[in-house]
Order: sequence, then structure tokens, then C-alpha cells
Amino acid sequence: MSFQLIIDILIATVPLLVIFPSLFAFTTWMERKALARIQNRIGPNKIGVPCTRVSLFGLGQPAADGIKMIFKEDIVPRGADKLFHLLAPILALIPAMLILCFLPLEFPWGKFMSGKVQAFMLDSAVIFFFAITGLNTLAIFMAGWASRNKYSLLGGMRAVAQMVSYEIPLVLSAVIVVMMVGSLNAKEIADAQSGFNWFVFSPWGLAAFIVFFIAALAETNRSPFDLPEAESEIIAGYFTEYSGFKFALFFLGEYIAMFAISGLAVTLFLGAGDGPFVDAAPWMPAMWFIAKIFGLIAVMIWLRGTLPRLRVDQLMAFAWKFLLPLSIFNILLAGLSYFALDARVANTTDDVIHYVNSGNPFAGVPELGTNEALMGAMIYRGMAGEQNPMAAKKWFLKAALKGHPASRTLVAWWLGIWVLSLVALYVMAKGLNNLSRSTTKPREYLYAE
Amino acid sequence: MSILGGGIFKGMAVTLRNFVGSYFYKERLITNDYDWRPEDKLPQSIGEYPKEEGEQLRDTTTVNHYSRNFPMLLHDGGEPMDTVRCVACQICERECPPQCIYIEKSEDKTERSDNKAQFYPAKFDIDVSVCMSCQICVEVCPFDAIVMNSQFELSTPDRFGGLLVRRDDLLKSNDYYHKIHPQEAATRDQKMVADKAAKEAKKKAAAEKAKAAAEVKAKAAAEAKAKEEGE
Amino acid sequence: MSTTAAPNYELLQQEGLETSLLEISMGPHHPSTHGVFRMDVKLDGETVVELKPVFGYLHRNHEKLAENMSYLSSMPFTDRLDYFNSMTNNWAYALAAEQLVEVEVPERAEYLRVIMAELTRLVNHVTLVGFFVNDLGALGTPLMYAFREREKILDLFEQASGARMMCNYFRFGGLRNDVPEGWLDRTRELVDRFPAFLDEYEQLLSENEIILSRTQGVGNLSRELAINAGITGPMLRASGVNYDLRKVDAYGIYDRFKFRVPYTDGDTGDCYDRFMIRMLEMRESVAILKQALADIPEGDIIGKVSKVFKPKPGETYGRIEGPKGELGFYLIADGTPKPYRYRVRPPSLINLTVLREMCLGGKIADAVVILGSIDIVLGEVDR
Repeated sequence: MSFQLIIDILIATVPLLVIFPSLFAFTTWMERKALARIQNRIGPNKIGVPCTRVSLFGLGQPAADGIKMIFKEDIVPRGADKLFHLLAPILALIPAMLILCFLPLEFPWGKFMSGKVQAFMLDSAVIFFFAITGLNTLAIFMAGWASRNKYSLLGGMRAVAQMVSYEIPLVLSAVIVVMMVGSLNAKEIADAQSGFNWFVFSPWGLAAFIVFFIAALAETNRSPFDLPEAESEIIAGYFTEYSGFKFALFFLGEYIAMFAISGLAVTLFLGAGDGPFVDAAPWMPAMWFIAKIFGLIAVMIWLRGTLPRLRVDQLMAFAWKFLLPLSIFNILLAGLSYFALDARVANTTDDVIHYVNSGNPFAGVPELGTNEALMGAMIYRGMAGEQNPMAAKKWFLKAALKGHPASRTLVAWWLGIWVLSLVALYVMAKGLNNLSRSTTKPREYLYAE
Repeated sequence: MSILGGGIFKGMAVTLRNFVGSYFYKERLITNDYDWRPEDKLPQSIGEYPKEEGEQLRDTTTVNHYSRNFPMLLHDGGEPMDTVRCVACQICERECPPQCIYIEKSEDKTERSDNKAQFYPAKFDIDVSVCMSCQICVEVCPFDAIVMNSQFELSTPDRFGGLLVRRDDLLKSNDYYHKIHPQEAATRDQKMVADKAAKEAKKKAAAEKAKAAAEVKAKAAAEAKAKEEGE
Repeated sequence: MSTTAAPNYELLQQEGLETSLLEISMGPHHPSTHGVFRMDVKLDGETVVELKPVFGYLHRNHEKLAENMSYLSSMPFTDRLDYFNSMTNNWAYALAAEQLVEVEVPERAEYLRVIMAELTRLVNHVTLVGFFVNDLGALGTPLMYAFREREKILDLFEQASGARMMCNYFRFGGLRNDVPEGWLDRTRELVDRFPAFLDEYEQLLSENEIILSRTQGVGNLSRELAINAGITGPMLRASGVNYDLRKVDAYGIYDRFKFRVPYTDGDTGDCYDRFMIRMLEMRESVAILKQALADIPEGDIIGKVSKVFKPKPGETYGRIEGPKGELGFYLIADGTPKPYRYRVRPPSLINLTVLREMCLGGKIADAVVILGSIDIVLGEVDR
């Protein structure tokens, strides 16, 4: 038993410890290359296979950087708190690695050995995720405090203010998904979205995803929210006094946190391992999952290449006056419209069941699309296997397309609610935007001949 | 009423266009690889501005006609010190804004292969680390003896001796000058020839004038003599 | 320095609470001080309550050196004042020296001077905007686009003068050498393409919500203060004063060109105005360049000046509208080949004097942006 356990633990954890740090190396290369191209430069293009002239688009660059980092002198300022100065980068890395365990990442070998699909199954994974993310703040403030440098201190204070503020919209936007699924379990959330029922494909899900993504940028200190390490203002913020391997650990921690938070966004909104041809091979879900993570990271890089930084008061105003009210409004809206829509689906189901009960639909002239509607009703009621309102809606949509009147009414409702929600969200966002920041607009200028 | 976040999306469209464009249009990609032996390259004429978008805008590894980096001393071929143009007049030493030229005039005039007896620089040192490539020395030189070289790989592991360029290293032939700055060298040669011709003409004129004056004088003397004799 | 502004923070006034302001010495090596410049900042949280600019780290004794060498020998040193704009620095000095000896500048040289000066203005403004947005926190993308265009203009400078930045191209009475064959065509091509770049740049920057909220209402400079402090150049025009030496003095041949001077109504005078005025000025420079390139005649490149420059005793002040403001050279000649007195009026230094007034009460991030919008080059500030 103990042998089996050890194997299980190894199989569950080693991929996380190997795959993500190597993905980190690839991501640094990708980021440098993409930023270079955005800026019309070439980027790393010299280092490839050692001892040859094969450059492989500079793919060897991360390795060279890593070697350099390891051999660099580790400088600790004289006035620094040596213990915390050492602990901070380690503490920044550990929670980030820990979060990865909760992602519903289905590696095929995990399934093969023990049937486990993720390293650590927890019924309250989402809550646990946010709890651990909070530790990161501590590490950053520890670094800022222990360095005994004014810029570091400023960076650390900025980081604490920023991460505490942005955690709230982050959690509130995740609440919507939890409401819809009725579970905090990452695996159940992932399963609920299978078959392209991604939560991002609904107005409130979309709004929540955008809020979540913006807050995630702030949580991971990415541009345009990179105030804790704002180069033009406070040198490098909390890691001003870090060099060598400690700096590399911070860097690693930051990127792993990026993977983790993108992974959570993928789990919550983008259908986890779901995608086209997902059943084609056992490794497809994992591949889709990682591909989606990289998609999000590419957007982060793109934003980084485009946007300047917010100021600290604007950052706070954005979190408290814009994102927070918007996500609360979104929760309300999602609850109401989900309730309305669900009531409508239940109504239609009742209609269909009533119709079936009142006479045999398959005799005489069958009404168009009745079969699909019946299927939907059965799935909604849980009469055909598991109860699944999401999948039921899909059948009703098929029925409506074939011309089933009750389903058509349902779809009309559906569309109406969606359009109304989208408009309401946009108007709300626009209003909040006008309220939360002083009006700024392009100006007209005078000319003297 | 603008779209929420419209300005940000506009900016992102620009960066995306540049990202994609950098793979297709070389004009966008302003940097290019450093050629390891750029000093061997001959100057390129300016040429046409690339008309096609895909064309490379410029070749950073070439030097152009007016490029200047560090002075050199010209000689007219053969044994350098025999035909060196510099006569150690020390004007450039005086005028050099950062005062990086050090000249020691020779004690004696030498007989050179072109049968001109001239002073020559016994020492002519220029400090690379001080020189600021301003070309003032070239402009003040009355003998066209010092011109700018466009060689720019001058780094050395020796901080002091290596950065002090001695006379013998500064000496370059006029042919080399023609190779690196053909247009400039040609005009300079023309000017020198013209100057020389003008000088000779002047000399000739002066000589003729002197001759005429002498004749007039002789005539006058003869007349005076005749007059004297007549008396 | 004047008295410290009282920290406007309630906590500080409460008894029994030991707090103090955070004093930070930003510089002399700091990513955004544009060289070796130092700001002694006192911070109340993130708010700037006191700011003291410290400069002089790059003092090179330029003025005294120039009094000990011939007039011509100072020319390459003027390149190093504001090393982005060596051409206009040359022109201001040449203008001052030409007033001492009253030399006629040939027609072609005048046109080339205007072309070079306006290209320099493009170089300066495009780089300034790039650095300014970099100070706002963009990761170098606008800066790289700016440098892409700057490189093309520097290539032209190199082809004409032999050096990319330290051009040393102007001489008393004209220019050092004529531009090479094909240079004018190439410049025409560049000038024709430049507006497309400006459009792209404006699309990237001038509507971006983050840039708008970071720059509008930040670092306001009132018209009165701007005039009293002697501010010149785009910064003065952004504060609502229509004053451009190209129109006022019409030095060189600027009276022949049709161009407009953008300025504001003076209500705000903030960083956004300073940024936009420069963007608009670039379009006007392109207009001047187009006219100059169309009209340029053939001819001599330098007037008749004796090789030994030895003006009669007298004094003069030559000034031009540099990209950063009024750049002036004050010379006193005493009949020797060396100037008796040589003095530079550096626009960077004088524009920098209002830094404290603009920064107080703002955030530390604003101080960086305001410094960026002033457009200083430490070579010129410290001399």
C-alpha cells in the first residue's frame, strides 16, 4: 500500500514540478520574442544548441539566463533582515506551485495508474485556491520590508494594497460560476462545462471572465497593473535588492502564479480541458488546458506590450469603484436571469411533458422538433441519466431550430434575457467608468498662422 | 460617446499590426545583425530609398562617404615617411577642441624622395579615448595632410598604450583614402592640384612680375646710365 | 531652497503618533531621470510634499572652455549640449557668430539649415514622446517605434555630415559640405512617409484611456507662472502662449514658409497638452520640410569667411527656436580669435525650474511623468 501511495504521489506531483517550470522557461522566451516583435525588434536569436551554430530562434536563451542567474553573486544589503530576505523568494514560489495542484488537469498517466485526475482533489478547491493566493502578498511584502530599501518598501506597500483590493473582484467573479454549478469542486466545474457549455458563452459569464482576467492581471503584477515593480518610478519595487538565484526564484514564482491564475480562469470560464476533438486521444484534455493557458498568457504579453501603467490612486479607484460594483451587479444579474431562464426551461419542460402525457406524440402528425424537445425535457428532469440543465438547453435549441413552438418561445426568452443582460452590463460599466474617474477626453488645439 | 476601452483596443490593434508586420515587412525591422568585419566594407552610395515595403531600409554594416571616426595622416604612396604630407606646423594641435593631438616637430629638415626638404613630425600621437571625431583638425590643416578614417573597431584590452595611436599607425596612403572616401578624396585631390596650379601660376606671375620689374629696373638703370653717359 | 511645504496629513498632527516623511533621493542613477539628475523627494505615503531638484553632475565647463579656444573649436562642443539636437545647437551658435562678422549665408545653405533643423525637431519630439510614454510605464513599445523613425533620420544626418548625433555640420557662413547626391530625394521620401507614422503613433497613444487619465490634470502650469519663469518652446505654448521664435524672429528664411504654430487656450497646461503640442508640431515640421525640399536651389554651400575667424570687438545674442525652447548664445568678442565671454541660454535648464511647483501635491508617479514632459537633456542642463 505504501509503495502504491508513493507512486501515486510522485505521479501526481512530478509532472507539475517538471512541466510548469519548463513551461516557465518557454514562456520567458516567448514573452521576449513576442515583445521584441511587437516593438519591431528581433529578440533573442543567437543561443540555441550548445557548441553548434544552430540557433533555433534563440530557444536556448532561457537556459543561458538560468545558468547566469545561478552563478551570479548573491548580494544581501548590509542593513537587510537576512532571514526574511532569504525566505521571501521561497515563500513566493511555494504557494504558486501549490495552487497548481488544484487545477483539473487530466494527465493520461495519472488516469492510468490510479484513476486520479488531479494532484489534489478538494471539494472546496476554489476557496482554497484564493486562500493560498493570498500568501503571495505576504511574500512580496516580506521582500519589500526585509530589503531595507525605500524603493522596496514602497513596492511592498503598493503590492499589499493592490493584491488585497483586487482579490475581492477576483473572488466575486468566481462566485458566478460557483452559483451556476452549485459546487466548489474544480473537477465538477470542469465537467459542467463539457460539450462547449463554457461559462464564458453567457453575458454574465463573459462579464465575470473579463473582471476576473483584469483582477488576475493585478494579482500577478502584470502590466498595466505592475505598480509594485514599476520600473520608471521605483526601480524594481520589491525585488530591487535581489540578485542571482533569489531573483530567479521570484521570477519563477511570478510566472508560475501566472500559470496558476490563468489555469483557474480556464477552469472557471473557458471549459477546462474541453475543446474540439477532445476524445481523440487521452492527452487531448491536458493539451487543450495548457493551450488555453498559453492563450491567456499571450494576451497578457500583448497587453504588456501595449499599455502604460496606472497610477496608484487610479488603481485603487478602478478596483473599488469600478470592478467591485460591477461584479456585485453581475452576481445579481446572473442570479435573476439564471432564475428567469431556468423557470422558463422548467415551464417548457412541463409543456412538453404535458403534451406527451396528453397523447402519443409519435402517432399521427408529429409536431416539428418534438423529438428534440422531448429529449431536452427528459435531460432536464434527469429522466435520461444525469440531470443536466445545460445540455437540456441545447436540445431545446435544436427543437426550436426545427420549429417546435414552445421551444421557440423559450429561445426567444433566452435571447431576450441575454441581450438585456449584455446591455445592462455595458450600461452599468459605462456609468461606473464615468463615475469612477474624472472625465478625460482628447482635446482640440488652437493654431496661430 | 466613445466605446468603453476603445482607445485601448485601438492601441492593441496597432501593436498587433506591428507584431505581424515585423515578420513580413523588413522596413519595420530596423535592427539587423552586426557584421563581424564591417571595416572591410567599402562605402555605399546612398542609392534609392526602397520603394517596395518588403525591401530592407538600410544596411547598418556599411559606412558612407562622409563617415568619420578617427583621424589618419596621409602620405602619397611609397615609403610613408618619405611622402608624408604633414610638415608638423602644429595648427591641428592648437585647434583640436579636446586637445588630443600631440606633435613633436623634427629638429632638422630631411631630404625626401620627392626632393623636398621639409620639417616632419618626429612624434604624432592621437589619443582615441579623448578624440571626439569632430573633424576640426581636417578643416584647419593647410596641407590636406590629416583626414578622417572611417574604421571604427578600435577597442583594445590595453587602456592606456593601446588607445594612444602613434605616428606610424596613423600613416595611411592616399590610395587607401581614395578607397574609403572616393568622392571626398577626389575633390580634395582636385583642390590640391588646383591649389598647386594656382600657386605655381602665382609664383610664375610673381616671377614674371619680378622679371618685368627687373627689366624695368634694368631699363631704367640703362636709361639712367645712358643719361649719365650722355651727360 | 524655499520653505518646506507643511505636510498635509491628519495623522501627522495627531499627538502620540510618531510618523515621519519618507525621504527618497531619486537619482542620480534612476531609470527615469533622463541622465544624471537627482530629485530629493519627501513623500507622505505616495504623495510628494517636497521636491528638490539637484543637478550639476554632468558639468563640463563648456562656457569657460569656449572662452579659451577659437570660435570654430567650440562648434563640436555645442553638439554635446543637447545631444539629441546637435544641428539646432550648431545653428544657434553659428547665428550668433555670424552676427559678429556679418557674413552672407548662401541660399542653398539657408535651405539646408532649415531642413536640418526641422529634421532635428522631428528627431527630438519623436524621441521625447517615446520616452514620455516610457515614463508612464509602457514597456518601451512607443519608444521603439519612435527610435525606428529616429534611426531613419539619423541615417540621413550621417550621410550628410558623417556622424549620427554629433553632427558638427554648420559653419560660420554656411555648412561644412554639401549634401551627397541623392540625399534630397531620400529626404523627400522620408518626409512623405512620416505622416503615416504619426497617424499610427496617435492611434496607439492619444486616445488610450490610461494615458489620458495619467496625463490630463497632471502637472498643471499656469500661463502666468510659465511667463514669469521664462519657459519657452512647446512647454510655453502648451500653457497657452502663442510664442514661437520662428514666427517672432523669422531667423534664417523661416518667413518664406507657410506653417502654423499649435498652442492651447491656457486652461490646463498639463502633461497631456505638452505631449499633444509636440505631436502637432511634428506635423507642422513636416509641412515646412515639404516646402523647403520643393524650393531648394543649387548653389554654394558656404559664404565668404576668412579662414581665421577674428571678429571685431562687440557683443551679440543669437537665438533660435530649438525643439526644446529658446536656445541662445551670447558672445562678446574682443578682437582676438577667442571669445571674451561665451554664454548659453539653455532651454532645458530654464524649463526645469518649475519642476517643483508642478510636482508638489501629486503622486510620485506623477513627478516622473512631469519630469518626462518637461523634456530635459542633462548635457544642456549642466553644460
